Amino acid sequence: MSFQFLQVLWFILIAVIILGWSTMDGFDYGVGGLLAFIAKDDREKKIVINSIGPIWDGNQVWLILGGGAIFAAFPQVYASVFSGFYLAMMLVVWLIIFRAVSFEFRSRVEDESWKKRWEIVITITGLGIGLLLGVALANVLRGIPLNKEHVDFESLFGLLNIFAIVGGLISLSMFLMHGSAYLVMKTEGELQKRARNYGTKFAYAYIIVTLIFLLISPIFAPRLLNNDLGILGDLVPAIMLIGAIGVILAMKSNSDTKPFMFSVLSIVGTIASVAVGLFPDIVPSTIKSSYSLTLFNSSSNELTLEVMLIATLIGLPLVILYSIYAYKKFGLKVKLDEDSY
Amino acid sequence: MDALILARIQFGLTAFFHFLYPPLTIGLGALLVITEGIYVYSKNEDYLKITRFFVKLFAINFVVGVATGIVLEFQFGTNWAQYSAFVGTIFGSPLAIEGLFAFFMESIFVGVMLFGWNRLSPKAHWVSTILTAFGSALSGVWIIVANSWMQTPAGYKIVNGKPIMINFLHVVFNPYFPAEFTHTIMGAWEYGAFFMAGVASWFLIKNNKDMVMRKALKVAIIAGIFISVVQIILGDVSAKEVVKYQPTKLAMMEAQWHTQKDAPEVLFTIPDEAQQKNYFAIKVPYLLSMLATGNPYGKVMGLDSAIKYIAHKDHITNLKPSMFPVDAVYTTFHIMMYIGFYLAGIMLIAIILYWKKRLYDNKFFLKVLWYSTFLPLLALEMGWCTTEIGRQPFTVYGLLETQNSVSKNVTVPDLIISITMFITIYLILLSFALFLFKKELKGRLEGKDEVNTKPKEA
Repeated sequence: MSFQFLQVLWFILIAVIILGWSTMDGFDYGVGGLLAFIAKDDREKKIVINSIGPIWDGNQVWLILGGGAIFAAFPQVYASVFSGFYLAMMLVVWLIIFRAVSFEFRSRVEDESWKKRWEIVITITGLGIGLLLGVALANVLRGIPLNKEHVDFESLFGLLNIFAIVGGLISLSMFLMHGSAYLVMKTEGELQKRARNYGTKFAYAYIIVTLIFLLISPIFAPRLLNNDLGILGDLVPAIMLIGAIGVILAMKSNSDTKPFMFSVLSIVGTIASVAVGLFPDIVPSTIKSSYSLTLFNSSSNELTLEVMLIATLIGLPLVILYSIYAYKKFGLKVKLDEDSY
Repeated sequence: MDALILARIQFGLTAFFHFLYPPLTIGLGALLVITEGIYVYSKNEDYLKITRFFVKLFAINFVVGVATGIVLEFQFGTNWAQYSAFVGTIFGSPLAIEGLFAFFMESIFVGVMLFGWNRLSPKAHWVSTILTAFGSALSGVWIIVANSWMQTPAGYKIVNGKPIMINFLHVVFNPYFPAEFTHTIMGAWEYGAFFMAGVASWFLIKNNKDMVMRKALKVAIIAGIFISVVQIILGDVSAKEVVKYQPTKLAMMEAQWHTQKDAPEVLFTIPDEAQQKNYFAIKVPYLLSMLATGNPYGKVMGLDSAIKYIAHKDHITNLKPSMFPVDAVYTTFHIMMYIGFYLAGIMLIAIILYWKKRLYDNKFFLKVLWYSTFLPLLALEMGWCTTEIGRQPFTVYGLLETQNSVSKNVTVPDLIISITMFITIYLILLSFALFLFKKELKGRLEGKDEVNTKPKEA
């Protein structure tokens, strides 16, 4: 295997891990964001929370894996982006901290206002993380002011531009659509009906903000117009739209699982669009294109990439195996018992 | 204050808070494997009750550990960008592998373990407990790989001024790894044993006819006596590795300013860094030479010659004694060591009392056990301070200095905001965790949890 091939492969693998995170943890955040709106009484709240109860923790490891994999495969990207986005990263971390304890803490005290407070935490952290993912990715697509040493001195407010906010709305609507589709799969009756309704609405929202994003891209990120894969690359964003239209149609059918499948498809389209838009850069510099971090100038050495590839080839199938086991044990529809949150 | 000091404070703070939780996940996890295993094989319901009660405490501790751990993986990039860019090609892999092989296993099976009581046969449930405990210990392996590599870097060569990996196995099995890992994991198990013993004692103080907690105490002290004795031996092994590989750290740990051939062990002192002197020193002659070299007249390097040795060996020109925080390292190391001896002593007394059948109604001793619940955790934190502060002024010993590791683009106001937030959030989390622990203890005392302890039969 040549070094260049390994570098490209790792670029793809990082995209796959980010896809794994947005697919698996994405519905956790979506379900969280929906909690305050979709559940009418205590029993419904319990069902919504327990639809992700036994599995959110495992799903969150995709994020840890993503951080570790970028660190190992593209250390300079890890260093430049994480330090450049300092306060934004801290904000994400604080949201994740509160999200992580919220389910467990909420269930431990039988008190109306205590529970209510943690439900608000679950909702806000779900919405916040959903929004910030897109803000971050859109800023990377636009490029950040990396200097010659690949250091970005821009402040937090530099991240809050219209392009990034539209990007944030894409990921937010995507996670909410995905969370709704997940709830259609996990619930029954009235709650499921509401989930179908929300899912359809967020799929429309996702289509609209995606079209706006594509429309304003030439102004903010002209590099997206001439991607390295040519016309084939230009067609990738279509997968996003096909997925979302699929969600809308499947929500009308009486299938419980199809909306989720289409929702996954639109996430695949989203992450693939970002990857195609960047390739072969990882973080474009807005100061000078030669300061950009590309997958060639920012990767680890050949041996590290090889070791990591072997580890991934052994480890990832194991992860999938454990996941299948856990999901099977808890069945398709939520059943509450005395161990539930 | 400059950004470097603040970045160090933030890292120390977030790591310190995080490290309050994983040792219990590892340690109590291992004990739950034992208690649930006894239930599975003996069908004695009491052991199921022990397991189910302690799993509740485990769950609270676990989520706070997960929540506080995430920042640590991001913080190398956010606050230590120069470090990350410099050693990422080596240091990143153990972190990624930890996620892939250990943390996934732990986090997926903890869900099965917490919520699967009615969905799995007792044996299958026990397997998920085992995998949770095993996954958490395996996490420890890879985190210690990363940390020990910072202590004794190996398996690399310098190309264009940067280290790159040339041998993965040498990175993993770097010289300090075996000693640091065994000493740390044993510390976590020791905490698990003392935690179970302490909580069981609390219940026995309230009601010494509590047969379930009698059994919990028994399991905890039998495990505890082995662990706490082995831990002292492993501590000695670890220190000998420090003698070999990190002479400046050893000099700081023992407050040895000058090289000596018949070095005494300084049992107590207040080291004065400015004067390079020890005040109020209580010494045992020859003991340090004996412990460090096996010979009462063995030469032990003092800080002065250790600095010269490192400067010469790794070609570093700017090292000054003032860059070596002797008092913090000496103090934390000795607190850890004395707690270690105390814990072994306590377990020994517990075993003797158990043998003479006077353990369960000895209120005074049960109180001692209850008050000792968190002492192993203090020892763990102190030992971690010794390891990390003792590595100063380097982040990677002999290879990269702390001042060249920090992010250039993170400002003092940035850091003040983030440190303030972390302190606030972590104090909230800690007080909630303690509040919920207490609530579970009281709940059991009031007899709220005597229902539904039986999992589905296979």
